[in-house]
Amino acid sequence: MVARLASQSTVARKGEAGGRLSRTFRDYFWGVAFLIPAFAVFGLFLWTPIVKGIVYSFYNIDFVNGNRFVGLTNYTEALASSDMGIAVRNTLYYMFLGVLMGFWVPSVVAIAISELRRFQGIMRLVVYLPNIVPAVALYAMWMWLYDPLGPLNQLLSWFGIGGVDWLTNKHWATFSIVLAETWQGFGATALIYLAGIVGIPKDLYEAAETDGAGVFRRIRHITLPGIRHLYLLLFIMQMIATSQGFQTQVALTGGGPNNATLTYMYQIINQAFTLLNYGRASALGVMMFVVLTLLSAVLYRLQGRSPQA
Amino acid sequence: MSKAIRERSIMSSFDMNKKSVMVAYGIMLVALLALAVTLLYPFGMTLFGSLKSKQEIFVFPPTYFPRHLEWGNYALGFKYVNLTRAFLNTLLLYAGNAFFALLIPGLAAFSLSQMKVPWRKTATLFFMSTLLIPSATYLIPNFLNLQSLGMLNSYWAFWLPAGANAFNILLLKSFMDGINKELFEAARIDGASELRCFFRMALPLSLPVFSTLLIFTFTATWNDWYWPSLVLSVKEKYPISSLVYYDIVTATMLTWNVKFSVLTAIMVPPLVFFIIFQKNIMHGLNLSGVKG
Repeated sequence: MVARLASQSTVARKGEAGGRLSRTFRDYFWGVAFLIPAFAVFGLFLWTPIVKGIVYSFYNIDFVNGNRFVGLTNYTEALASSDMGIAVRNTLYYMFLGVLMGFWVPSVVAIAISELRRFQGIMRLVVYLPNIVPAVALYAMWMWLYDPLGPLNQLLSWFGIGGVDWLTNKHWATFSIVLAETWQGFGATALIYLAGIVGIPKDLYEAAETDGAGVFRRIRHITLPGIRHLYLLLFIMQMIATSQGFQTQVALTGGGPNNATLTYMYQIINQAFTLLNYGRASALGVMMFVVLTLLSAVLYRLQGRSPQA
Repeated sequence: MSKAIRERSIMSSFDMNKKSVMVAYGIMLVALLALAVTLLYPFGMTLFGSLKSKQEIFVFPPTYFPRHLEWGNYALGFKYVNLTRAFLNTLLLYAGNAFFALLIPGLAAFSLSQMKVPWRKTATLFFMSTLLIPSATYLIPNFLNLQSLGMLNSYWAFWLPAGANAFNILLLKSFMDGINKELFEAARIDGASELRCFFRMALPLSLPVFSTLLIFTFTATWNDWYWPSLVLSVKEKYPISSLVYYDIVTATMLTWNVKFSVLTAIMVPPLVFFIIFQKNIMHGLNLSGVKG
């Protein structure tokens, strides 16, 4: 009798626990089910390559004879190679020119467009136009514009300036690429700034004007602080994008002349798909990841420290 | 007066009375006009160049407008590339990319935003931390990974990875967070399944974001030329950008008037697409700008 009672109570307790379990299961079932596809693709196509990249960087990848563990050889060889110095220098120069020629343009254009009373819609469309058409069409356009006998040199000759070998002179090649990319990309960034500028309350300007602040002081003390958070964000985004730039280089100069436009990322592509040295390419990728992560961490720190960011 | 207040931006109508401001404003207008010309010139150059004869394209100094319209360039250009097939390839790629890039992140965003999930923070971190990892750094292992999965030379190598898009989850989730939770609670009490809640309520309510992401996916698919040329090994499968790059842009035996004709042809579809969806695109840019 006692035993029976005891067994009954265990059954009851078991049933209760099972009920709780199945209730948790039922509560979470659909929520988890909706996440499973995302977990699968993120795991398979993002995290697997990321982890594999780190693993591969310690191996000599050989599809025929099998992979062989080589320790840090990929890293030491990559750092010792002569291409490394060239690629790092080219990439830094490319990033620097990108900031010098391209970073300030979108915000200035955005402020100017925001002041247009008419045709503002058309101007927005025009600056965004290069973002709409395929990049390969733009590459072809720039090849033609940069042709030694092309329109740009013709324009220069009107001012009595001799022709420039835009893409075939090693001192001009990076400049030419940055110019083309700035032309191509500033519109989208300008529209982001424009959205920020439009969002600034108009009564701030009204108040400043009543207090006697001129137009330029209003820009300096109201507009620019109003879009300050965008400056830092877009600066980080530009750094991350340009530090990995290689497609325009592939298309316009092929890394030349004399390796003048061989960027870091281009070096990775060369190691992997020309020299089939996948281990070294992975090691280069890991190093770049470390540097970029440190860079953005430092920049976010700076943002955190600065007031009203 | 009230109209002037409504129309003011940084400057008010009153500022215009000052001479220095007017001069600066005039300079700004001229600069913007010059900018517009600079932006439009290459497009005109491509269009007009595509209508020039072979002799005229080699004239120095180069002319801008063609003397005679040489429509034959288009017929000639289309002989070098199978644009119809490449166009259909691109559409097929886009359809799959759009399907996976919207459905998978859409379901995940709905789950994280409106449903009961264990370890929500860890799951969010699992997705969002991929945003911090620059895609180029794992370009090579990504290629090797697709190779070992046997997906090279197949569109699945684009479609399935398109679903692994943390940016899309971010945008969709932040939009769905704004939908009142009680709406879904009420539907659940009325017996609606979670799938019904998603497809019949969350999806229609988030239509602005979904349409924006459709546009972003279109631009990305239409523009991408390097990655498809790595992953696909036969030109019959190339999307339009890759094919035009390898068969037209880098072709040495083609004259520029013929090249321009093909380039003009591939610029038209995205332009039409843009003009149709202009409002949504501008809205999308604002959206992504605010969210970063």
